[in-house]
Amino acid sequence: MHDMKILEDNWKKYQIKKRKPWYLFLSFLLIIILIIFLFLKNNFTLFSSVQSFLTKISNVEISNSKSVSNYSSDYTLLNGALTRLELIDKKIKNSDKSDISNDVLVDIPILEIPDESISEEVNNFNRKKIHLNIIESTSVKAYKDVEKRFYESNDIDDGLFLARSYYKKGNYKKSAYWSLQVNKLNTNVEESLLIFVKSKIKLGHKNEALGILISYIKKSNSKEAKDLLLRINNNKF
Amino acid sequence: MKSRYAAAKNVFLDSIDIDDYIELDSSVIAYQQLEHSIEKPLKMILLFGRPGTGKSILLNRIHEKLKHQKEIYYFDTPAANEKEFFYKLFKVLTKKKLPNNTEVNFSALIEFCQNLRGKREIVILLDEAQMYSPEMMEKIRLLSDTRAIKFVVSLHKTEDEDLIAKEHFQSRIWEVIELRNATDKDQTSYIHKKLLKKNLFEIANSIKDRDMKLIHKFTKGNYRECNKLMFTIFEICEYYDENEPSKINYSQIPKKIIEMSALKLGYIHA
Repeated sequence: MHDMKILEDNWKKYQIKKRKPWYLFLSFLLIIILIIFLFLKNNFTLFSSVQSFLTKISNVEISNSKSVSNYSSDYTLLNGALTRLELIDKKIKNSDKSDISNDVLVDIPILEIPDESISEEVNNFNRKKIHLNIIESTSVKAYKDVEKRFYESNDIDDGLFLARSYYKKGNYKKSAYWSLQVNKLNTNVEESLLIFVKSKIKLGHKNEALGILISYIKKSNSKEAKDLLLRINNNKF
Repeated sequence: MKSRYAAAKNVFLDSIDIDDYIELDSSVIAYQQLEHSIEKPLKMILLFGRPGTGKSILLNRIHEKLKHQKEIYYFDTPAANEKEFFYKLFKVLTKKKLPNNTEVNFSALIEFCQNLRGKREIVILLDEAQMYSPEMMEKIRLLSDTRAIKFVVSLHKTEDEDLIAKEHFQSRIWEVIELRNATDKDQTSYIHKKLLKKNLFEIANSIKDRDMKLIHKFTKGNYRECNKLMFTIFEICEYYDENEPSKINYSQIPKKIIEMSALKLGYIHA
């Protein structure tokens, strides 16, 4: 047995050869497991982002519906008008975001609210100062921030600010939308109703606007509303 | 001091010595079948199987068993040529040596055999018959036709040899006995009996069932291959026992050694 060393070496080589398929199989298995793991991980991330997005949307909807239900007693007068407005509401919500920058500015003053009164309010509240800055900057992002804040806090001032600003900029769809949002929160805010009526007229929905305005006048006997009705009828609007 | 494995190694030296014959279930059946066939009025009996299936040892054993009862002769090595074969046959039939410078006349031989019919019944065991030429096999067939000589022809089972068998014997009255490779169980029994016959109980016990399966896998149940593998296994064991005892486990033959033996004999390759 002089060849024992060679025989042992051959046996070692044979062992490697014998186990080769197992090594290959294990490597293959490991790769498969890794692929599955990565695939599941990615799916989970995607799922999480979709889930967070959906949660965000549902939160907004819930807060909106809560606001509506809180003030449901005030709807008795404007029920019919509000039903119609709800339908438009959704359309406006999905309207092109670029409207803010693309719409032509129309220099129409807000009748019932003089600029001075806005300035006074601005001076009183820090938040109003922010609004002024936004108007100066005309930054789309700044508007978005206010919209976001409105969805979070349901602050009527924010809603009114947006309605007013969009109306001034001639974006009547948005001004109608934001005035409606304010009206949903509080039906007694006259300014929101008047901006809504004016926006509707600008959008060519005169009958609808008049219906709402007349209903409001019957309910509130508001002088401002009556003036607006008169101007509409006299085509001075 | 001589290694315990030296004796075990020599147990598996390949031989057809009747003392080394191991009686297994399958070999007992083959033996009885052959013995029974020899008793029958058959002219030729074909014993075939792959090399190493135990044909030679079976012929040897039957010769040893029946030589005192019958006129039975065992031609273990095939004759180099026709002349030599007839010389051997002449000696068997006449119990005399052929005079120098003379040749056997085949026609005279046939005539002589025909005269022996009914008087003597001669059995000739022809081992390694595949070595005989077709012409020679034809003459053997003619001799068997005299019914004075009964031939037991042992052939290796290969495709060509099957063809020879078909060509020369198929139309004759004969019986076929086929020897096959051992089963796993038979081979285990064979190895154990071989070792126990030499009182190597501890070594026999050190070969476990799974080792037996591995040995059967390498040798495919062939007795000659089994002898070779077992010899090599014990040869390696002997080497380790004498030179590197730490590498050997006396209670169990290491699988490594079985595989090394298989590598050495070419059953597996690195």
